[in-house]
Amino acid sequence: MTAAALRRDDELETRLADWLRRSALGDRQAFRQLYEATAPRLLGVVAQLVGRGALAEDLLQDVYVRIWKAAGQYRAGAGSPMAWMAAAARYRAIDHLRSRGARPEVAIADLPSRAGVDDADDDPTQRMADPGPGPAQRVQARSEAEAVQGCLGTLQSSQQQSISLAYYQGLSHGEIAEHLGAPLGSVKTWVRRGLIALKACLERCGWAA
Amino acid sequence: MNILTDELADRLAAEYVLGTLSGGARRRFEALLPAHPALRRAVAGWELRLLPMASKSEPVPPAPRVWTGIERQLGWRAAAQASPWRLRFWQAFATFATVAAVVLGTVPRLEPVAAPMIVVLHATQGSETIVAGVSPDRRQLSIQPLQKVALTSDRSLELWALKKDGPPASLGVIAADRLTAIHQKSLPRDTKGLAVSLEPLGGSPTGAPTGPVLFVGELTL
Repeated sequence: MTAAALRRDDELETRLADWLRRSALGDRQAFRQLYEATAPRLLGVVAQLVGRGALAEDLLQDVYVRIWKAAGQYRAGAGSPMAWMAAAARYRAIDHLRSRGARPEVAIADLPSRAGVDDADDDPTQRMADPGPGPAQRVQARSEAEAVQGCLGTLQSSQQQSISLAYYQGLSHGEIAEHLGAPLGSVKTWVRRGLIALKACLERCGWAA
Repeated sequence: MNILTDELADRLAAEYVLGTLSGGARRRFEALLPAHPALRRAVAGWELRLLPMASKSEPVPPAPRVWTGIERQLGWRAAAQASPWRLRFWQAFATFATVAAVVLGTVPRLEPVAAPMIVVLHATQGSETIVAGVSPDRRQLSIQPLQKVALTSDRSLELWALKKDGPPASLGVIAADRLTAIHQKSLPRDTKGLAVSLEPLGGSPTGAPTGPVLFVGELTL
């Protein structure tokens, strides 16, 4: 998937919000449309954390059952419906990982490392991947996805690695510490400071959620 | 929100969304959400901030079994068979078919058979429906309530042709619970609609509707 495919597409977001609102009123047709429009993306989000296959699909089923039941809790204007649903998918997958205590082996080399691994050479976020924190003002993002990737690139590598492991692999603090061979306290600090720096960078880019 | 400073709330929300808030802390945080709008706003903010990271994941089309599983889990699959909507649809379909067949069956097949005109009469109060079919030569009419119309034993339902000008013309008394076929010279030329009124047993004594109009439908040619 390209970064653009998950960017905040206002037209799609409007339709998703409408389907969610109608689902909350018991409109099964609207819920079916919501499912058709979002299921491949949410399954992608789940599969990234638990791997592809029957398990991911079972979890996806749970996710939509929860979305149907919680549709009334989504309020238009409260946020992006896609973000809300993608988060629901991540939470279900993370809950599964935590409850099982088991996870696929993580190879650090497989992780999306610094910003924009799939992107072209002229990607401005690539230039942000210089060692050490770069000036966030230099992040010239054309989209939210680029802004986030660009800002991730401005973090210290330990912060960036910790956040990536947590986000893309669903690792807990303890598991990140194990994988990086670092003390638990350090990992907690990296994650916390990394998130604060990420938010500050996004705000400086003019993209404050 | 007294228990949480904004900064702490934002930090917890960030780690909740990222997934690093775990175990009991995660459960306690979730339990706090319903009663704390500021916390929910912080969570929504982080969900939006981190959403672009999800764009790294390839979309994966789910197998069809996922949707059927959702339907089953929500109890839609079993319920679908007997859902009132479905039942009503098939009742309506059967009625349309019967009404059409009765009308067509009485039309001499000398020329290509034109479809009967179907008129749907809606209750003036409530959601009941009566379906009527009018043959292309307008000499045959069949009519059937989709749901039995509740009547006391001293009352009848009477069908009327509503004309563009002049008073309604009686087309006769109809059954409250089954199909009634009406043969007559012809439906008045300028009939623009049909109506069913509540009348004394056997029909209006005056030749004009005396009781309330229960159903009305437009004739569209």
